[in-house]
Amino acid sequence: MRADAVEKVTGAAGYATDVVRPGMLTAKVLRSPHPHALVSRIDVAAARVAPGVHAVLAREDLADLGGSSYGYFIKDQPIVALDRVRYIGDPVVAVAAETEAEAVAALEMVEVGYELLDAVPDMDSALADGAPELFPDPPLGIVPGYGQGASGELRPRQNVCYRFAYTTGSADVFDQCDHVFVDRFEFDGRQQHVHLEPFVAVAEWSGESVEVWSSCQNPFPLRKELGRLMAIGEHRIRVHVPYVGAGFGAKNNCKAEPIAVLLARAARRPVRYCMTNDECFLTQRQHNATIELRTGVMSDGTLVAKEAAILLDAGAYADASPLVAEKAGYRIAGPYRWKHLSTVTDCVMTNTTPAGPFRGFGGTQANFACESQLDMIARRLDMDPVELRMKNLLDVGEPYVPGESGMDSDLREGLGLVVERIGFGDARPEGRGRGVAIGFKDSGGVNKPAQARVKIATSGDVFLHCGTIEIGQGVRTGLRSVVARILGVDVSRVSWPELDTDHTPFDQGTNASSGISVMGQAVEQAARSARAKVLEFAAGVLEVPVTDLDLDDWAIVAPGGERHPLNFMVMGHYGGTGYEFTGEGFFKAANDHRAPLETQCVSWEYGWGAAEVSVDRETGQVTVHHLVVSGDAGTALDADVCRGQDEGAAVMGLGGALFETMLYDGAHLATADLVSYRVPRATDLPERFESILQEQGHGPGPFGSKGLGEGTMLPVASAIANAIEDATGVRITAMPFTPERVLAVLDAAEEGS
Amino acid sequence: MHVEFTVNDEAVTWDVPTSEMLIDTLRDRLGLTGTNLGCDHAACGACTVRVGEVPAASCSTFTWQVDGASVVTVEGLCADGALSAEQAAFAERSAFQCGYCTPGLLTLTSLLLDEVPDPTPEVVREWISANICRCTGYEVIVEAVLDAAARRRSSDAG
Repeated sequence: MRADAVEKVTGAAGYATDVVRPGMLTAKVLRSPHPHALVSRIDVAAARVAPGVHAVLAREDLADLGGSSYGYFIKDQPIVALDRVRYIGDPVVAVAAETEAEAVAALEMVEVGYELLDAVPDMDSALADGAPELFPDPPLGIVPGYGQGASGELRPRQNVCYRFAYTTGSADVFDQCDHVFVDRFEFDGRQQHVHLEPFVAVAEWSGESVEVWSSCQNPFPLRKELGRLMAIGEHRIRVHVPYVGAGFGAKNNCKAEPIAVLLARAARRPVRYCMTNDECFLTQRQHNATIELRTGVMSDGTLVAKEAAILLDAGAYADASPLVAEKAGYRIAGPYRWKHLSTVTDCVMTNTTPAGPFRGFGGTQANFACESQLDMIARRLDMDPVELRMKNLLDVGEPYVPGESGMDSDLREGLGLVVERIGFGDARPEGRGRGVAIGFKDSGGVNKPAQARVKIATSGDVFLHCGTIEIGQGVRTGLRSVVARILGVDVSRVSWPELDTDHTPFDQGTNASSGISVMGQAVEQAARSARAKVLEFAAGVLEVPVTDLDLDDWAIVAPGGERHPLNFMVMGHYGGTGYEFTGEGFFKAANDHRAPLETQCVSWEYGWGAAEVSVDRETGQVTVHHLVVSGDAGTALDADVCRGQDEGAAVMGLGGALFETMLYDGAHLATADLVSYRVPRATDLPERFESILQEQGHGPGPFGSKGLGEGTMLPVASAIANAIEDATGVRITAMPFTPERVLAVLDAAEEGS
Repeated sequence: MHVEFTVNDEAVTWDVPTSEMLIDTLRDRLGLTGTNLGCDHAACGACTVRVGEVPAASCSTFTWQVDGASVVTVEGLCADGALSAEQAAFAERSAFQCGYCTPGLLTLTSLLLDEVPDPTPEVVREWISANICRCTGYEVIVEAVLDAAARRRSSDAG
């Protein structure tokens, strides 16, 4: 059973939404009604003296800070509006009051003067000649270090905040190709994360120090960013993260925290800023994208060269877009053998909700394009799409690109499983089509450090101090079992103290499927170190070589099986009271300039997918009859948890493929809440939906494990698109596959034929 | 406005503003934080509680509306400290991940199984489609509900 099971089925599990502090005030935020405007005047005088109001936060209150804007590489997002607003929903003024009603009433007293500017609600208008720029000045930011073949550039052109480029091999090989195919894909996905627990933060100051309770994925980088904004040391900021009600990427970096912290300081009272779910739609989203691929192949299906031009719609602020660009542009080749790759990815600023990290992290967009195009190429060459993939897939251990780590799953084995389960080679029922695809991304992030500490009390009870957030992925279940196994104790004796940045060892963040591949290695090391210290202690007491001893159920097992309970041994040695053995662990992939992203990827995550579909010719409705996905856990630390990750990711991919999108009418978000924005429900599941958990054993994590949780989202859209062509003979290159879009494509094909 | 009702079999009497929502009464006045606020539009089901024999979105139910009714939250599903059949099935089958939607799904499931003791998978899907779970992909929840039904039937038989 999962470690969090009883708490979560009884309602006892505590989330940041549950945090209450004495005298706590409620914050509300006034947001811009305009997509693009200069802010000529803000009058908050009446709000400051409104009933129940204890603090107001407007641009005039940001003057003395260490910074007024936040972001990842590019710090361009103001805490509240400075000179202009850049999307409908941009925060302008915040207040903290005794009650929510008083806060709302105070915001109604705020007067804001706007001078409207032309908006650029989409990438075409943002890139058009003479288009208004969201940022007239170059952005404040840095380009991270890159290795072999990769480069980055800030603001390479109008309304583009960042460009990532990657090249390997020579473009001359295009000349040797029998065929060069150019195809263009529209990823109009723009999914909303729909983490049901909203963005929420509670902040409470004590003198010059602040405590923050947050629903967040990366408390340590958050602490650093808050320190920079507030111009205070990280030792004066203490971040607590209880259970998190999902995130899917959205809960990285600042959301509700800066406003809560600043209002709490001004009010000298604890402040809670809990966004409504509607506000979440105005805070973060997935990137929509256009992707053009130029791919050179031989007549026998050998892949040779690929060029990719990717435009990512970053929305109003840079947020994580440079990182998403990096991953989309770097991974778009897929796990195949190429002689030449050249990709350019631009992050285009538009007057829409800022786009940020989203499960798949650029891989969803890239996989839709590259796995669709591979099928298109197979058909053009009159080849079986499975055969084309089998022919070009990388082998286990074979580097992705020069300087990079090797594949850590047998890709053919995984593909064979889903091909067999969907019956790809078998005759189709009337009107049905089948398609396959392989999702591909790195697992474990890039350049991610993780530290962990394992502490064993006198009586053998264990504390695992680990900064990975339990966000639903089951990390407490998985990593507690690793510690228990190494220390030879029952898992019930391993506790997981709640995260508190004052005491928990550093972690870069709960993202990139890194909990097992990266933090898992730190935890394993910490447990082994603690175990070694216990054995060394016992060897000294018993005066025997340490190599002769084993540890089991908090007893030392000597050669011949003689058991020495440690409880008494420890107390006897340490003054009759007790002692704690502590092991530390640290993992980060080595810095390596030969690796394009400066460190080799720790692990690779694959999602094999296959779909059987039919299409209603009259309505354009796509029905997925059978969906098969498969991920490789390396070694499953908990099979239920792995299954949950694979199936949840696949259904999120299904929603993105078929209907999910934040639909904009100009710059106005038309699907701005969970009434108008549709996510998959139980009745949307295919008639047959299966996940196959592989345990191939090649992972870098404890006992051969590796990360899961994003891979099986990635192949779903392309497998369905490939199945649609199999069923209808018509290719759809734009997502999501809504009835309107599919019908238009079918009609156009019929007219053209 | 004066209201009297029961929450998890305990009598509650209170003077509440007519604008007060049931979820705020449960969470802020009674400290029953197991019920979670999701979309705030009665669309996601996270805040579902039992009001008599029907599910209610507590985010969109005024507290005065439950005057005289019997309200059951996730905290009230446990009997004498033991997990109910649906709680045990969800726990043992890991039919949750982040857990934020779980209390609403559990109260909904308790009603479903009261009404349909031996549901088909299709009936389960139909019922739980009222609630959004963004984490699991639902299949495991359907299995847990069917398992809970079996547990209930076997304990009734015993």
